[in-house]
Amino acid sequence: MRAMAVAVLALVLAAVLTLTVGVREGGFSLVWQALSAFDPNDPAHIAIQSVRMPRLIAGLIAGAALGMAGTIMQAITRNPLADPGILGINAGAAFAVVIGSLIAGRADNGLMAALAFPGAAAAAVAVFALGGGLKGDAGPVRLTLAGVALSAMLLSFVSAIILARNEALEVFRFWVTGSLAQAGMRPLGYMAIAAVFGACLAIAIAPRIEALSLGSALARGLGTKPGRIQLGALVAVTALTGAAVGVAGPVAFLGLLVPRLARRAGGHVLRRELIASAILGAAILLFADTIGRIVIPPTEIRVGTMTALIGAPMFIWMARRLRAGASA
Amino acid sequence: MMLENDNALKAEGLTIGYGERTVIDNLSLDFPAGRMTAILGPNGCGKSTLLRALARLITPGKGKVTLGSDNIFSMDTRALARRLAILPQASKAPEGITVADLVRRGRTPWRGLFSAWSEADAAAVARALKEVGLTDMSERPIDQLSGGQRQRAWVALVLAQDTPCLLLDEPTTWLDLTHQIEVLSLIRERNRAQGVTVVTVLHDLNLAARFYDTLVLLGPNGMVAAGAPQDVLTEDNLMIGFGLSAMVVPDPITGTPMVVPR
Amino acid sequence: MNAKTMAGIRGSLILAAALLIAIVLSLMIGQIRLSAADLWTGLLTGKGPGALTLRVLRGPGVVTAIGAGAALGASGAIFQILLRNPLAAPDVMGFTSGAGLAIVCGVLAGTSLPMPLLSAAGGLAAACLVAILAIKRDGSQVPITLILVGLGIGFLTAAANSFVVTRLPPEQAAEAQRWLTGSLAARDWGHAGQVFGCGTVLAVILVIQVRALSLLELGDDLATGLGLKSNRARLQLAGTGVLLAATGVAVAGPVPFIALMAGPLGMRITGAKQPGGRILSAAVAGAIITVLADLAARSIVPGLQLPAGVMTGIFGAPYLLWLLSREMDAGDI
Repeated sequence: MRAMAVAVLALVLAAVLTLTVGVREGGFSLVWQALSAFDPNDPAHIAIQSVRMPRLIAGLIAGAALGMAGTIMQAITRNPLADPGILGINAGAAFAVVIGSLIAGRADNGLMAALAFPGAAAAAVAVFALGGGLKGDAGPVRLTLAGVALSAMLLSFVSAIILARNEALEVFRFWVTGSLAQAGMRPLGYMAIAAVFGACLAIAIAPRIEALSLGSALARGLGTKPGRIQLGALVAVTALTGAAVGVAGPVAFLGLLVPRLARRAGGHVLRRELIASAILGAAILLFADTIGRIVIPPTEIRVGTMTALIGAPMFIWMARRLRAGASA
Repeated sequence: MMLENDNALKAEGLTIGYGERTVIDNLSLDFPAGRMTAILGPNGCGKSTLLRALARLITPGKGKVTLGSDNIFSMDTRALARRLAILPQASKAPEGITVADLVRRGRTPWRGLFSAWSEADAAAVARALKEVGLTDMSERPIDQLSGGQRQRAWVALVLAQDTPCLLLDEPTTWLDLTHQIEVLSLIRERNRAQGVTVVTVLHDLNLAARFYDTLVLLGPNGMVAAGAPQDVLTEDNLMIGFGLSAMVVPDPITGTPMVVPR
Repeated sequence: MNAKTMAGIRGSLILAAALLIAIVLSLMIGQIRLSAADLWTGLLTGKGPGALTLRVLRGPGVVTAIGAGAALGASGAIFQILLRNPLAAPDVMGFTSGAGLAIVCGVLAGTSLPMPLLSAAGGLAAACLVAILAIKRDGSQVPITLILVGLGIGFLTAAANSFVVTRLPPEQAAEAQRWLTGSLAARDWGHAGQVFGCGTVLAVILVIQVRALSLLELGDDLATGLGLKSNRARLQLAGTGVLLAATGVAVAGPVPFIALMAGPLGMRITGAKQPGGRILSAAVAGAIITVLADLAARSIVPGLQLPAGVMTGIFGAPYLLWLLSREMDAGDI
């Protein structure tokens, strides 16, 4: 419980920092005024309401969604390296978005968001089929490499398109890395609904996923239907990842970082882990975003780059620790 | 109120094969309620296959399995899981999980989609931990336990499932003799205390004779014998089942038959 | 002469013919189509459209592609033999993207160091990181751990690359993105000379080292018993492998999957079993793949020059997936 309290505190702190860091003068009190007594004539207030708040909300949605998606994926694949980014689900969403807006000839947010879900779902199915996940136990190495290969292929297509059209490069080269900037232009409301749906589904089926993570034979002995659980998990992961990609672009590695920490806060009870993942995911994403904004001013390091810079060493550390038997 | 007979497991005309190969051919067997039955036989004779069919983990080509008066292949999954538990061979625990968290997962069939953890769940877990003697270690991670303790934790998981019928696939493999006896003893305690029907696939003939009421001996060409230990473990049956030339003498402590290979 | 040798010779001829066909096609096809006769005349007389194409338009690019592909292919084969794992290629393990990152950073920082030097520094740095992080304290190495740690280094350099790209103004960003995808557009004879110059030196070194490689294949214990200092030999071979990959990257960018595909492809066609033959056939196969990928990239969408790396990415990834499923079924991973 103490760890959970720490997580909540961290989230609050991250949210406050997101709102206040970089505000020129007035700092916290100005932000407080803008929120409590909004003055539509004060440009500083408008800036906070129209730039900082959307950024905070986008960070909350994307961070919580990716954290939970990572936890579900790690539980169901028993793979400590599972993450929507590494397994190519982000790339699937990105691919669908880029192809779709190319065909439609426009890149508005509604369209991008609507395409992200089918893209994520297709990539998730593909990576599990290719990685042997449907047959039963997919080893971490196989699933990871299948994800890497799938990502490489989809991102090759994406970069072919981006390079073919210079105007597309301008739109997507920022988006493809993952960023919370210009979040005000994103369909935050719809994505929030999708994320909440995914979160509820995940929490509902969490005990079944726990049973499945003991192996499919024992899971059936415990009265669950593995196929149905996998389907439910797939829907949840798709809704969560799609929502995150919709508001922040394909941010990778958050789903890798968060579950390990969430386990500290939630023990081995998946529902608690999921809630802890949501809190920690949002907190880490907001922290990463804030650090990215202030570390080398005036340039901003995209939040996707930040998570990768933290997450890739984590990946290496975990790869080293993989038990010899677990690599099968 | 469940009748005593509702916990009897019965295989009728089971035929199971993988591809071309028929592993079990037209087998009919009774597993009486409240009794402990061990399935014995050489490697590859279909012991585990039979057990998996009894637990509905595989669907037989022909025949059916009934639990009481219900055909298990037409029962609701969860309803079956509340009446019959199976511990598969060599299960792998999630990394870092504690004993208590593992055992809690045995309560899955008793929990609804959004229902919270109930008193009954907590009581069943506590009782299972007590039965296997791991109450004091319940917060320890599984990876830190000894082999025997680990296996007891897995048994506790199916005990927490709280079913009147319990199936175990080689629960003593990889354990040393002390721990084998420990695990079988605690299964028998549950059987004697609550009249649970137990079916176990076992390798060790002498332990089976010691702990089990009924033995089923499968051979390379189907069932060899079924019945009380002294009727099943005869020199002739061992020859047919295992191709083993052995002498059968009474166990000096329990009087049950003991196999001494020649 | 036995049947096996015959098959080997036939395979080698097929591989050589394939390279020749790829080169000719690559010279013929483009915005202006040439006939084989044009090329032939150009080659013999030094006059006409054929000569111009050979000398200026496509010749340097094709020659550079051959050199870069051969270097990458040979490098892939070295690591695949050394680690006894078909997945162990410098592009999977992050060496090529390390080399690419070093070049981009070097160019942006405005250094006057030659590209191959930057590339070699980046490749060696990435390789050292992978080795330090993946090899256990007792010196034992698990190929799968090396590969996974290499992937992690690849993720890291990819993040750094994308950071660099987002910081650039649009024009340069497109250029850097192209280069980081792996491209052979607008290469001149300088590039060709560079890759063949460095490549030749490394090839000579490799010829000396190849015997050690065939001993290492027998296992460390036996190799030591036969008088080889296994660890040192392995280190030297890995060094040559990294430098070969870096040579390719310096002129073509970190083109993905060529090093991964070339070894098994070459071996399948020629049936080579000895390390020397495997490396040679991998080099030729790498050249073929690169020439064809470049050809496809610049002619598949008319009027548009895509980087070659896009093509190897699109076709290399399914190969990696296929390889995975095969390795899995064989129980190797």
